[in-house]
Amino acid sequence: MSSQLVVPYLGMKSSKGGEYLSSIAVAGLCSVIAVLLRNHLARENFVIIYMFAVMAVSIRYSRGPALVHAILAVASFHFFFVPPFDSFRMEDPTYVVTLFGILAVALVTTKLTMKIRNQAAEALQREEQTKELYRLREEAEMEVQKERTRNSLLSAVSHDLKTPLASIYGAATSLLEEEERLNAAERRDLSQSICAEAERLNRILTNLLEMTRLESGRKLTRGWYPLEEVVGAALTRLERSLRGRPIRTDIPPDLRLVWVDDVLLEQVFINLLENIVKYTPAGTPIGIAAWENDGWIEVAIEDRGPGFANGEEAHVFDKFFRGKVAGVRGVGLGLAICKAIIERHEGTIRAANGRSGGACIQFTLPVGGIPPEFHEASENTV
Amino acid sequence: MTEKNPTMHEVLVIEDDPEIRRFLRTALGAEQYRLREATTAAEGLHQATLPPDVIVLDLGLPDMDGLEVIRKIREKNKRTPIIVLSVRGSEEDKIHALDAGADDFVTKPFAVGELFARLRVVLRRGLEVPSEATVFRTGDIEVDPLRHRVTVNGKEVHLTRTEYKLLIVMVRHADRVLTHSQLLQEVWGENQEDQAHYVRVYMAQLRRKLEADPTRPKYLQTEPGIGYRLTTE
Repeated sequence: MSSQLVVPYLGMKSSKGGEYLSSIAVAGLCSVIAVLLRNHLARENFVIIYMFAVMAVSIRYSRGPALVHAILAVASFHFFFVPPFDSFRMEDPTYVVTLFGILAVALVTTKLTMKIRNQAAEALQREEQTKELYRLREEAEMEVQKERTRNSLLSAVSHDLKTPLASIYGAATSLLEEEERLNAAERRDLSQSICAEAERLNRILTNLLEMTRLESGRKLTRGWYPLEEVVGAALTRLERSLRGRPIRTDIPPDLRLVWVDDVLLEQVFINLLENIVKYTPAGTPIGIAAWENDGWIEVAIEDRGPGFANGEEAHVFDKFFRGKVAGVRGVGLGLAICKAIIERHEGTIRAANGRSGGACIQFTLPVGGIPPEFHEASENTV
Repeated sequence: MTEKNPTMHEVLVIEDDPEIRRFLRTALGAEQYRLREATTAAEGLHQATLPPDVIVLDLGLPDMDGLEVIRKIREKNKRTPIIVLSVRGSEEDKIHALDAGADDFVTKPFAVGELFARLRVVLRRGLEVPSEATVFRTGDIEVDPLRHRVTVNGKEVHLTRTEYKLLIVMVRHADRVLTHSQLLQEVWGENQEDQAHYVRVYMAQLRRKLEADPTRPKYLQTEPGIGYRLTTE
């Protein structure tokens, strides 16, 4: 792997055989230039030319071709520049030093180049390893984050689960142990408490389950729905807790169908309405309005309660956020789920205080194009 | 809600959880139902060979898929009503159960009153066969099939042909859940998944003509993720 990585790094493109050929060619070229210039330049200059060639080849090519080139260069220098010229005989033995000098330059340069190449390769490999380690660490961190979410979900909720459970257990044991001393009204009171607390437990579990499923990428079951129907289902389900509250719905009959998972969208309305029931005085009105805006359906739910405290609007959709209102119980998942659901539908949700001073939650829903046509006989009234 | 069950109907409860069987035993006993119990699908199927008046079936039995149990019961017995017990979040399971031949469902956790209401409806169906000529009344709505007349508070309401057909199907199955695909099949005679929104559009139109407040329907109620129910109780 390392040699493959090093090749492009040092600009070496040719194959091994190619390298040998090139190194021989350079030696030849060098010799030709030297012979052409032999009568115009001092001999010392040619030592420099040969040295340059040797260094260049040693840097560029691997050890074998570099050595071949060095030997050829030495031979060429010997042949053309060591007197007597154009022969391999040697009159002055001090030229041996020059010849060995050229060879030594080749060897040292090759050695240094190899070292640099190896270091580069190592650096590259280290970089790869660091990247891999980094990736693994990121994965591990994500895993930890997920685990933390799960744990925080669990720990936040375990308290909220235990509270209704404590009421149920307490009421049930009272019924069992004090059976004879309790009058009918007291027994009924305890039973009602068991009932209400069980309902609360069910709501918490439903939200918890929904959150977990949304976070693990639950698939939506989408269809085209009249918004009115989904709102109606939520209002019907919450009939009991909404009793006594004037509810004004302003949904145009010709509003385009929304392209949604109706069970999840119903959950959005249920959570928003339950929030209103929790945070606003009994009997205060609720307004639900919808209109089309730029290819999206806008929905707004407004109450006449105290509204969001300053700066709270930005955090109401955070998990485990609870409004600072005394006596209100909840896990703080309701609005977080609304946000998760709306965002899974490619919509957006935001919180603000309405004109009347109450809280207003507004979100967008997709229309998802035009629903398929249904072919049927022409319509007549009966 | 507390109206007793004069004919001592027999209920076969197929449910593996002992505590659920326990409170059903008490509650159904108090309502004068005779009770048979099965804790597994195999035992339930065996007991169902001697048909009770109604079967209450838990969809999450350990030894067999709930849908399989329904299909096996329906192979031999088309008549005995089946009410399935299921959890929230499994709307698709409920639809499949209804398509496989279940008559209705109750979502766990449920109030006993809800189960009693479902039992009354499916048992009522066995007693009185509503004839084509029976005038149907619920609250201020009256439907006279013979004269094709629909009135709200005595005032005649004009429905389109499709709206009327849809209403008649709902009336024939009053108080029982009808899935989108069952309604498509019965009203339009074809069942194409991608056309379920037609049912919803016509249902919305019906509500606007029949309900005092179409966003808080009293009669034509939605079962989210499943379909509709025309309530009379």
